[in-house]
Amino acid sequence: MDYDGGKINMSILSRENSERLFWLGRYSERVYTGLRSIIGSYAKNFSLDETNPESAVFSLARAYDNAIVLRDEIGSETFSYIQLAVYEINKAKKSLTPLIHLQKVIDNIAAFCGMADDSIEDEHARGIIKLGKRIERVDLYSRMNANVEDIRREIRRLIYRLPKTGLRYDAETLERLIMLANDDSLKRPEIVKEVEGLIKFLE
Amino acid sequence: MAIAEELYAYSGGVNELLARYGVKFGIYKNGEFHEQLFPFDIIPRIINHDEFAQLERGLKQRVFALNEFLKDIYSDGKIISDGVIAEEFIYSGTGWLAQCAGVSPPKGIYSHISGIDLVQAKNGTWYILEDNLRIPSGASYPMIARELGRKSLPPEFFEKHHVEDNRNYAELLSRTMNYVNTGGLSVILTPGRFNAAYFEHSYFAELTGAHLVTCEDLVVEDENLYFKDYSGKKEKIGAIYRRISDEYLDPVNFNSQSLIGVPHIFDIYRKGNVAIINSPGNGAADDKGIYYFVPAMIKYYLHEEPILNNAPTYLPYYEDDMKYILANFDNLVLKDVAEAGGYGVIFGNKLSSSEKEKFIAMLKAEPRRFIAQEVIDFQDIEIFEGSSQVPRKADLRAFVLMSDEPVVWKSGLTRFSRNPDSFIVNSSQGGGFKDTWIMTEEK
Repeated sequence: MDYDGGKINMSILSRENSERLFWLGRYSERVYTGLRSIIGSYAKNFSLDETNPESAVFSLARAYDNAIVLRDEIGSETFSYIQLAVYEINKAKKSLTPLIHLQKVIDNIAAFCGMADDSIEDEHARGIIKLGKRIERVDLYSRMNANVEDIRREIRRLIYRLPKTGLRYDAETLERLIMLANDDSLKRPEIVKEVEGLIKFLE
Repeated sequence: MAIAEELYAYSGGVNELLARYGVKFGIYKNGEFHEQLFPFDIIPRIINHDEFAQLERGLKQRVFALNEFLKDIYSDGKIISDGVIAEEFIYSGTGWLAQCAGVSPPKGIYSHISGIDLVQAKNGTWYILEDNLRIPSGASYPMIARELGRKSLPPEFFEKHHVEDNRNYAELLSRTMNYVNTGGLSVILTPGRFNAAYFEHSYFAELTGAHLVTCEDLVVEDENLYFKDYSGKKEKIGAIYRRISDEYLDPVNFNSQSLIGVPHIFDIYRKGNVAIINSPGNGAADDKGIYYFVPAMIKYYLHEEPILNNAPTYLPYYEDDMKYILANFDNLVLKDVAEAGGYGVIFGNKLSSSEKEKFIAMLKAEPRRFIAQEVIDFQDIEIFEGSSQVPRKADLRAFVLMSDEPVVWKSGLTRFSRNPDSFIVNSSQGGGFKDTWIMTEEK
């Protein structure tokens, strides 16, 4: 019997999938941090209005769109937490007590992140999801006027993650971002602009 | 069935997990794409050990003969020159690909993965309903249903009930891909998320470790097929399990209007530089018109009697058969040979007299386009509707995987019709599925 004719290499990733992993990381983070920040002062339209691109339900749908086509990269187990989060947010839409379901959305996204970190074998694939999360975190904290130390910490975490993915990034943008982080008065809109321009996908 | 009563309590658990893991299929309604859960019924089809052993022998024999047939018609065409099958049945079929003539696939395997549909008549006899040698789908569903059943049922339930483990499908698939691999990666080519069987493509990729790729990820260069990765690096591919049909595979060699496909992939396949699974041109053997001749093929190539029966079939192309069809129209089911997925199936007794008249005119004008079959009153299998059990029509798709030897997967996709009056079990027509249990040898 010939089991060795085919070579399976786990460390190759298509351009399309690298972008999907990146956006899966970003959108899942957007749902997570977005919901955690509003759960104390809940506004239904903000989290559950599908037509609003800033809503959690919209971001979660985009996370799902990426996850469903990444089953082979991330695994069914990791995928399943995104699927469970979708079912919970759909329950929240119909519920008189949406917050309890939104808490489960947060729990499932947290489980997704843990599972992704623990089970995705391909270092680059795992790294790209995390990089997406880190970029989104800096972006969201800056937009949400988080305090200076939190933003600086998130920028440090992003810089640490950056070289571990094999994705190309713009060195000059990175330099400007480091300068902005060290600035005495934190210029949040400029941080958003730089962090959004950091990653360059191949055309 | 006692086992059904026992299983009922676990039905919710399995279905919850199937939803959790996104076990879905895609369907277009009014031009819009929807993902739907594939309805699962927990009552299994059970096939005992000896009965399955007989099916196994018959299925291997059939697939072996079909493979010989493909080898023959794309080379010398002896079965034609010896007068066993008239050439118009081969060359005028929609599955015949003239480009494949003279091309021999790696290790001579045409049908690597064959999905053979069977039904069991009320008297217990199994009949072959059709052969699917192009892109038979569906193995992933009983595979994952069993996997999730193992989580939802009491530990060792399947062992206690002496059920063969069916979780080796991915291993069989890897073995099939590796056996013909010409050197390089094995990949699974999907048309993408909007294909009905996308779940299956991605699940197979996950379990086999073969990369799931789309046409944009692939390129033919210096006589080889390559995968392009995100950093621009290229990796050679030795086997491609493609889940897109022949006509979209290569716009240079087949349908030039196709927007998808990998230009020149057929050219390097012809040179033996990549294995395509299943081989292009297989449609010439799973045409519903060719089905009629499979018993003759078995005798011709293997000098054996067919172990499994065809459903009694008539070809309007032959004068005697046409006479029979016209005389017994109301008792027959007519099938358009070019259609699949439950489309193009007409029950004679369901037509009004004007529809019937129109249909017969079409039949006379295009006799090659249709086959007629006796309606087999096949066995019902119980399904749960709420907590009560109701009988429904069900068929079985058995999977035969060819590598160094043909292997019949010890399970299969059992599809049932949810509509009590319907014989059509296809998922695109609203049907559901069951697990198929093959019993281990009685000790």
